[in-house]
Amino acid sequence: MDVKTAASNSSPPRAKWRKVAYGGMQPGYDDNHTDETFLEGMVMNASVVKRNMLKVMLDAVSISEYLCIVALVVLVWTCTLSSSLDENSLLLIDISLLVSGFLILLFTQKKLSLSLLLHYALNVSFFITGLYVLAPIYQTLTRSISSDSIWAVTVSLLILHLFLHDYSESTVKAPGALKNPALTSCISVNASVVASVFIASRLPSRLHVFAIMLFSLQVFLFAPLVTYCIKKYSFCLHICFSISLMVLTLSFVYTLHRLLFVLLLSLLVFVNLVCPYWLIRIQEYKFEINGPWDEAKLCFDITD
Amino acid sequence: MGNRENEKHSILMVSDFFYPNVGGVENHIYCLSQCLLNLGHKVVVVTHAYGKRSGVRYMTGGLKVYYVPWRPFFNQNTFPTLHGTLPIIRTILTRERITVVHGHQTFSTLCHEALMHARIMGYKVVFTDHSLNGFSDAGSIHMNKVLQFTLADVSQAICVSHTSKENTVLRSGLAPEKVFVIPNAVDTAKFKPMSEEERRSSKPSRSEIVIVVISRLVYRKGADLLVEVIPEVCRLHPNVHFIIGGDGPKRVRLEEMREKHSLQDRVDLLGAVQHTEVRSVLIKGHIFLNSSLTEAFCIAILEAASCGLLTVSTRVGGVPEVVPDDMIVLAEPDPSDMVRAIQKAITMLPKIDPQVMHNRMRELYSWHDVAKRTEIVYDRALKCSDQNLLERLSRHLSCGAWAGKIFCLVMIFSFLLWHILELWQPADDIEEAPDFILTPNHDELEGCCRKPNNAENQKNSSDTNIYDNSGNNNIS
Repeated sequence: MDVKTAASNSSPPRAKWRKVAYGGMQPGYDDNHTDETFLEGMVMNASVVKRNMLKVMLDAVSISEYLCIVALVVLVWTCTLSSSLDENSLLLIDISLLVSGFLILLFTQKKLSLSLLLHYALNVSFFITGLYVLAPIYQTLTRSISSDSIWAVTVSLLILHLFLHDYSESTVKAPGALKNPALTSCISVNASVVASVFIASRLPSRLHVFAIMLFSLQVFLFAPLVTYCIKKYSFCLHICFSISLMVLTLSFVYTLHRLLFVLLLSLLVFVNLVCPYWLIRIQEYKFEINGPWDEAKLCFDITD
Repeated sequence: MGNRENEKHSILMVSDFFYPNVGGVENHIYCLSQCLLNLGHKVVVVTHAYGKRSGVRYMTGGLKVYYVPWRPFFNQNTFPTLHGTLPIIRTILTRERITVVHGHQTFSTLCHEALMHARIMGYKVVFTDHSLNGFSDAGSIHMNKVLQFTLADVSQAICVSHTSKENTVLRSGLAPEKVFVIPNAVDTAKFKPMSEEERRSSKPSRSEIVIVVISRLVYRKGADLLVEVIPEVCRLHPNVHFIIGGDGPKRVRLEEMREKHSLQDRVDLLGAVQHTEVRSVLIKGHIFLNSSLTEAFCIAILEAASCGLLTVSTRVGGVPEVVPDDMIVLAEPDPSDMVRAIQKAITMLPKIDPQVMHNRMRELYSWHDVAKRTEIVYDRALKCSDQNLLERLSRHLSCGAWAGKIFCLVMIFSFLLWHILELWQPADDIEEAPDFILTPNHDELEGCCRKPNNAENQKNSSDTNIYDNSGNNNIS
């Protein structure tokens, strides 16, 4: 067993080291031999995408767009609660939203089809009838809870909703979509619905409840779908729409409350400017290691 | 084998995974221990209690096993308490006059704790890593940090394949020279191809080709790949049959696949296969199919090759290193490439002689060789210079901004605890256990790697519990 002496002499005619585990100890090499080929298969930062500041900023616009939509909903809630918005104008808003959403969906679809239109119309009518029938229940469901608790819970639910919301896609899918939504986005949608139910219990009449529930559900369930369709249709239109929405929201909030305006503005700046910059900065710390030891990924979907 | 400075070691093998649990690590520890005993070393195994199996037991060849009464809480792992095991480990180390502590497997908490305590008490420690781990998910990151902690202070480390060595070096930041590659082996005496008698008694079916799969049916073992591959192969080759041994959550999917393609008479699902029955399943087949998505070594391939089967396997982890290229057909882990590889294997089949393949495997792998190579690692570990606590703390401190400080605190606490224990129960007061001396059976080295099951039978027949509390039952 003169392995060690052979290794130290490093006599030239010795066999080349092979990266194999069979055949016992390789003659002339110790078991702790480290070849030049060591870590040859290692790949660093293979799947890291070089991000560009402008691109990230434009992508962040969809987040601020949705923030504005939620801010607008809260605005409508507060106006209704302070009776500066009566039920008829609320219903008017509902109908105009419904019609405009419909139109946007239809026009951004590749081909206009009567069956799709019928499908939507049928579903929406079911939805509205159900909501109308259930309005008295919503009105009294959480009535016994104190207003402070209602506000606190609503705010936390909305924050939860914003955190878990799926900003890249819409949870409510266009008919025929295959992929199921993730658990987090389902939780997000549910949080928003519960928040609307809580708010509804503070309203004076059934019609109020119906109008506000219809409004909130329309926005929380279908606004992501509408904005997603716009984005898919034309990115330019999406940016224009988002910016006008931001301006609209900011001006509304400005008339309502100064501090809230400053808060919302700083939030939008944070999301649109600071976060992208931050992301780009911390990119250089990215250190990803791949190699032959990685678990193989299956190249097909497992349908359980 | 007696020309080196032939000192005999007292080795303590520590792992959560040992018989009655069955698997690659368990098998490795058992076979390695048996061969080391045959080389004249003293080997003691420490594991946690399995059900009622608690206390001290002896296995074949006088292998002493301590089943520490410490309950497993998840995946056969003991609950990590950091210092809870110090007293008992210290007592065992003293009682058995241990010189080297050898821990096995990254996922074993008992192993990590025992290695830490042993280092605190100044013992030389060796660690064997049996698995691969990624770098991306939270679980892996945590495991890698724990591994870094243990390996920061280890004397020598062993990996089972070169890919595993690369992985371990990256995960733990250990110097590559300290990491040895010593593969697993296979008991070729146990995994023999079908003998002439067996061939005569079994029905002659030369025309049909049987493909055997033996693995747990879980995601990581690629059960989903099987679901895609089997119908396609059955469609292309009407004479192919599949035998699938193993159980697991993905079995339902395989059964569904069998129903859907009406392959009931061509795909046999055997369910869980005992390790003693593996050979009897393997020899029914001509091709062994391994669809694993990650594998550090894959003993199953060795067992199949030793039974004379041609292997088709996914090219993952250490698999390409395991057997020579002409004994295996490798494929990417994607169904179409797997089907292509199986077709290639079917065309290669007429040229394969199981007996020749078995004889080659006998040349390539033996546990005895593994034990001898491990012995060299122990010798190296004992030659490592002793370091005091401060030197070792500095090494731990460099493990990370936060982790380093936490590691140091853990070490210091362990050190204090050890000194308190020394005051409470001085090491001199701990009674040393008498050695159980069996004359090593040199003629039958190949048979030294009998499986734990045999050992168990043998032991049950004599006496199950040999507690060695008193020195009276010293069997010599």
